[in-house]
Amino acid sequence: MEQALVVSTMQLLSQILVNGVLLGGLYALMALGLALVWGVLNIVNLAHGALIMLGAYVGYYLFTLLNIDPFLALPLSMAVLFCVGYLLQRGILNLIARAAMFNTLLITFGIDVVLTQLAQIFFSADFRTINPSYAGSNFMVFGVTLPLVRVLAFVVALALTIALWLFLLHTRLGRAIRATAQNLGAARLYGVEPKAIYALTFGLGAALAGGAGDLYGVVSQINPYIGATLTAKSFAIAIIGGLESPLGVVVGGIFLGVVESLTALYIGPTFVDIASFGILVLVLIFRPNGLLGATT
Amino acid sequence: MTLRFKFILGVAAALMLATLPWFASPTLIQFGISTLLLATLAQGWNIIGGFTGYASFGNSEFFGLGSYGTAIAMVQWQLPFGVGLIFGVLLSVIFALVVGIPVLRLRGHYFAIATLALSQVMTAIVSNLEVAGRNTGLVLPLLNGDTLFYELSLAVLLLATLTVLWISNSRFGFGLIAIRENEDAAASMGVNTTLYKVLAFALAGVFSALAGGIHAYWITFIDPVSAFDLSLNVKMIIMTVFGGPGSVLGPVIGAFVLSGISETLSTEISSLANLFFGVVIVAAVVFMPRGLADLMRRFRKTGWRYFSENVKQHRL
Amino acid sequence: MTPPPLLEIRGLSKRFGGLVAVDDVNFSLASGETLGLIGPNGAGKTTLINLISGSITPTTGDILFEGRSIKDLTAFKRARLGIGRTFQIMKPFPGLSVLDNVAIGALFGTSETAKALRTARDEADQWLELMDLSRYADRRADELGGPDRKRLELAKAMAMKPKLLLLDEVMAGLNHVEINEVIEAIKKVRNTGISVLVIEHVIKVIQRLSDRLLVLHHGQQIVEGKPGVVLADPRVIEAYLGRRRA
Repeated sequence: MEQALVVSTMQLLSQILVNGVLLGGLYALMALGLALVWGVLNIVNLAHGALIMLGAYVGYYLFTLLNIDPFLALPLSMAVLFCVGYLLQRGILNLIARAAMFNTLLITFGIDVVLTQLAQIFFSADFRTINPSYAGSNFMVFGVTLPLVRVLAFVVALALTIALWLFLLHTRLGRAIRATAQNLGAARLYGVEPKAIYALTFGLGAALAGGAGDLYGVVSQINPYIGATLTAKSFAIAIIGGLESPLGVVVGGIFLGVVESLTALYIGPTFVDIASFGILVLVLIFRPNGLLGATT
Repeated sequence: MTLRFKFILGVAAALMLATLPWFASPTLIQFGISTLLLATLAQGWNIIGGFTGYASFGNSEFFGLGSYGTAIAMVQWQLPFGVGLIFGVLLSVIFALVVGIPVLRLRGHYFAIATLALSQVMTAIVSNLEVAGRNTGLVLPLLNGDTLFYELSLAVLLLATLTVLWISNSRFGFGLIAIRENEDAAASMGVNTTLYKVLAFALAGVFSALAGGIHAYWITFIDPVSAFDLSLNVKMIIMTVFGGPGSVLGPVIGAFVLSGISETLSTEISSLANLFFGVVIVAAVVFMPRGLADLMRRFRKTGWRYFSENVKQHRL
Repeated sequence: MTPPPLLEIRGLSKRFGGLVAVDDVNFSLASGETLGLIGPNGAGKTTLINLISGSITPTTGDILFEGRSIKDLTAFKRARLGIGRTFQIMKPFPGLSVLDNVAIGALFGTSETAKALRTARDEADQWLELMDLSRYADRRADELGGPDRKRLELAKAMAMKPKLLLLDEVMAGLNHVEINEVIEAIKKVRNTGISVLVIEHVIKVIQRLSDRLLVLHHGQQIVEGKPGVVLADPRVIEAYLGRRRA
């Protein structure tokens, strides 16, 4: 009797951990674009969550109107958001590239409001989900239930993260982007205009948000207002993981996912935000370079 | 001469605003109350954001604490409104001190995001508190007296504006400005930066909490989402930035102008008003980052070039 | 009994991770004395100034000001005790007028906390006059160029009425004519009778200003003494001048 209880508690715990890790992979992808833009352009993009939201709607409409599977729609969603990001940087953010940090915060905040309101006007405030036929399928491994879409989303998110990492390490453009993070002029050494790097990087950040949004629409409900929370979570993950490498962001994402799952089970679902944002504030105060970052 | 003229003009404007309830329609009075409260919030944000340069995205926490302090005192403990208001302010100041000391050590982005995260934490905490009515919120006793609420809001706004006027001409205010302009240099010149930042944060908290308490009693109902409404941060920041951060009247003028326009727009479509706020903040940051106050001062000299010069100065 | 030196540095070290930026430095500075601190880039000069002004805390060692340990005091308290400084990268308050930049020094540099704004501005006026900046009083500080900006930095620090002034590479980025102008300004400052600790790259400047020189290399002090003697020392030539001449 007691043994059975122990077994089921263990099983519950491993189920929760697996849920947390699966959620964390998606979180990591969400935070990746924010961390990239922050590291290279020194902009904390408060509209990042709104870009994720837009990506989710692109996926939603491709699925409902054109019947394109959300996992196949992923590149399209990323492409659309890349254009949105590229244009936002070229058309607006570039105009204040040398202004005080406070102004970049304000302007991305304004862009967030505009995107959210436009989404509400065009897409309505109703909750939506991307519901492919296999949405309810599960499979079992060692007594742990694995929802198919969550596993797929996790794998795709991880693959995109690794792809970004390889891109930054091993391509000429990737190296130019990394060099720009240290020094704006450095991009010229790679034969690329700094201005172009800024727009490309912001576009890339938006594309990652678009991909994350498409996947988010598959595993969760979307509406125009999900952006603010997602921005805050992305920020939390980037802070926890540090800005140095995509790997840190993955660790940060999984950490947050697990903490949220454990909090929901052991303390209560209404305490999830207290836990995740409480951790963010504590990390900010005690380890401003991230849990994995160097101590000063 | 000009100083006396300004003084007379200020008193005249305050008197005119005070007599409004005797000839305005009930709807206009209600619009007036909400505008005055927003202006108070903007003025509070002006102290920490405009003078001290700390971009707080969490002043709605103070508004919420003021609302809940007043509501809890009145509903749960049957205390009079005045006591509730003081209780709300007290909560807000305690919060500013306890949270401010660690959070105000953070600079730039980190401070902004920490305050943003804290306001989400506050919403979640309040929705789990029995005494605050959890998710359902609290219903306050009904008082039909919009004129009273109007005059009260006006009084609080006047108090906030006079405080900012004092700040702008005092040693304290110069310390805050020094922190905004360059915190390291300020410390090396003898400014007690920690104390000053926390005081500015607490002062912003006092006025935001007063606005929150009055708003709660006026609306007679509060719940976690509306009391800690994140979009309040949007509004107070935009109004201050639009009017002129770090100026005495900028936030008030910004609040009046933007409330007026958004009220007109929202009679058409309600989401249009919020869209308008978003567009204004983007345009203001690009074309007039120092606000209306600076625009009016320099437009005569520079003309329309004012806008293109701002863009030229900051673009890549 | 002789009075304690104005500033005394005892076994002061600062480590950043594995790097020892300042390594067991000892020296003292008498009232009214000007000490020059030289050394190649990365020798730990600015770190030493940051340690004295309180922007960073030492790993080991002690700092005594007027005989009293100040190593645990925050930067603003040290400023009020009478330690003024300038920054290598000039840090004016860009949005304030030149006058108000200096007024902030007068307002906050002393323990007298009830000073009126008007008094502070009057005092600031006098410092602007001494530094030949009166005609720029109403300009925004970020509109000033080269040597004027340096003189503003001096005026700001002097308005605090410091007993000790720390000057961190004030000459950086100036041409010969401008350097001479600023040297004259620093001499005026010195003639008020305060002690000065000056970091400088330009040897000519340090020779003309200092009573005594201290050479730092890899965080360690290698020579200390009269300028003529120190600059002729072979270790100094090897560590600092030799490389430059090569």
